[in-house]
Amino acid sequence: MICAAITAVVAGVTGAWSPCGFSMVETIGSALGEDRRGATLAASATFAIGAMVGGVITFGGLAVLGHMAGPGAGGVRAGLGVTIAVAAAIADWRGVKIAPQIRRQVPERWRWSTPLPLACGLYGVLLGLAFTTFVLAFAVWALAGISFAAGDPLLGAVVGVAFGLGRALPVLMMAPGFSGGGQGARLLDGMAREPRMWLGLRRLDALGLSLCAVFLSGASATAAVLPQASDPSAAGGRLAWQALAGSAQLRLQGGRTITLPGADPALGGTRIAWQRNGTITVADPTTLAPEINIAAAGVNALAISDTWLAVRGLTPNGGEELLADALTGPAHTRSIASSPRIGEIGRPSLSGESLLYSENTPESSRLELVNLVTGTQRPLRISRRGAQLAYPALLDGRLLYERLDRCSQQLRLGAMRPGGRERVLLSLPSTATRDPGYQRGYEHAYNSASPCRNRHSGRGAQVRLGATALAGHTAFVTEVSSDASHARILSLHL
Amino acid sequence: MPPEERREHFSDVVLRRSSRRGFLEWAGMAIVGLAGVGTAARAVLPDEADAYTNFCGHTYTTGNCPHPTGLPRVDRHDLPLRAADGHPVDDLGRPINAEGYPVDHAGAVLREPDGEPLAPAPRSKVCRAAGEAHDLKLQIHGSWYRCSGGRVRRLMDCCGYTKVRINGDAALTGYCYGGRNVFCVQYYETMVPC
Repeated sequence: MICAAITAVVAGVTGAWSPCGFSMVETIGSALGEDRRGATLAASATFAIGAMVGGVITFGGLAVLGHMAGPGAGGVRAGLGVTIAVAAAIADWRGVKIAPQIRRQVPERWRWSTPLPLACGLYGVLLGLAFTTFVLAFAVWALAGISFAAGDPLLGAVVGVAFGLGRALPVLMMAPGFSGGGQGARLLDGMAREPRMWLGLRRLDALGLSLCAVFLSGASATAAVLPQASDPSAAGGRLAWQALAGSAQLRLQGGRTITLPGADPALGGTRIAWQRNGTITVADPTTLAPEINIAAAGVNALAISDTWLAVRGLTPNGGEELLADALTGPAHTRSIASSPRIGEIGRPSLSGESLLYSENTPESSRLELVNLVTGTQRPLRISRRGAQLAYPALLDGRLLYERLDRCSQQLRLGAMRPGGRERVLLSLPSTATRDPGYQRGYEHAYNSASPCRNRHSGRGAQVRLGATALAGHTAFVTEVSSDASHARILSLHL
Repeated sequence: MPPEERREHFSDVVLRRSSRRGFLEWAGMAIVGLAGVGTAARAVLPDEADAYTNFCGHTYTTGNCPHPTGLPRVDRHDLPLRAADGHPVDDLGRPINAEGYPVDHAGAVLREPDGEPLAPAPRSKVCRAAGEAHDLKLQIHGSWYRCSGGRVRRLMDCCGYTKVRINGDAALTGYCYGGRNVFCVQYYETMVPC
């Protein structure tokens, strides 16, 4: 976002070399002179505000459209953004003639028919809109494409404000000192005589876009990092997972991957745990030297922090139970939840002494948070109808989880507190097969409530979202094929 | 029990009269009416059900209740079924077994890569869920039965204190009672052949 914003400022400044850019400086700076410096400043201010408003309308609007167009999957959007950014960067670096060009200018009559601050405000809006007058860099087209591809209204708004600011900066710098051949006039004259400055700015745009492409491609390239892998767990720059065929794996900070002597690995704090043949081993993730061994049969999921170990396992009556063991101080095992049926208690996640897990039944779906020191328990999210909440992960007050409904599967990131803003990191169509909501041959003009906006009728997605993990700047999520024979772990940069 | 009242709204009238069958019905009625035997005409001409919308048997223009798989087919407890084959589905539209676990096309429980069964999801009564989604308290009231596809189908009105239907049109009384109006519709497929 920062990269796009900086590029947008430069792209806006580049627009100063357009016919309208020159006109604005002259209009605001020369018409009034020093006698009415206040009015000049007011016009400059309204122009700047208008430019930013215009920018938000264009780039924010495109981002909203991208958001409404539905989510991309598996880095498709990032790939689109990379392609646009790279193409525009090459064109701007080489100074390619802008095409398509918009050969229009702002209405000159406003200058005579309306008060200057109002006219300048409106001029600002038009210039901020970016595509109502001459475009001076491919970066403008690229930023529009990136805003749409990103589908993030906040990003679009930031790019819009930055672009508007960039369009206003030359005017703010030159107009107040323009009259009487002052500094502003000399700068404008320099601009008019030196198009290489414009080309230089376009090269800055190209550099900015290249950086954006690097960031975007980073997200895209790591969208599918681990094939045939599931159940990620991350901490301290390390990532552990379960290979579909074989033992657990651990990727160290340096990128080297080693095989762990067990299954169901869990990373947390400065510890790692795995289980094998009825024994849970807690070890140092650097040396893998065992620190604690705990006998426990029927274990099928683990979570660990520096002070606690959470264990989900089978009960003798065929159900499942979630337990927590204190790793420091006197041995203390706490029963957290139990279910007479397997599959209802989700894989646990630990952050310090906070334990998070999902509980899903045909009656409700909930994410439960337990403070293992005080024993207090509270639901973070509840769904009684229409949606399932699953695969939560917790880290430093941030909550990563999946919300699944009849239309979509969403990976969401937000604060633990319910009701706050949540980012949808990934969204796929639901896996359900859906009919069109009407019978073939019958009138269906009134069937407005049944369809899903994000998908058509027929078969749904062939992959479903599975277990997650959360690290400092990365969210991990498992994508599982419908028959669970294939799975891969995606990493998404936050 | 017959409905308290069934007033036609303009859109319903337009729909009925604009359809080919509606026109034929109107034309037939006119011809027979000219002969002065309107009563007999009503007895021999097709009933109003010919102006079906959305699905067989459903008359008038009320929209479907939101349903996990589209067509608003429910079981006798108002829980969602897949319209194509009557298989129970959860709120995510996934076919499920008797215990609520999602299953594949062969009825086998879907599992995680580690063998753990996929977690069950809520399964909600369709009418009530439609109400909660629109801040209304809805319930099934009266129904009407028609022959559809060789079976008797129960057309069910999901009713509440509302002035608009789910599709935005003004609400009809339909088969609702106590001042309630129809908000959306659903159906139940009986085992009775016809």
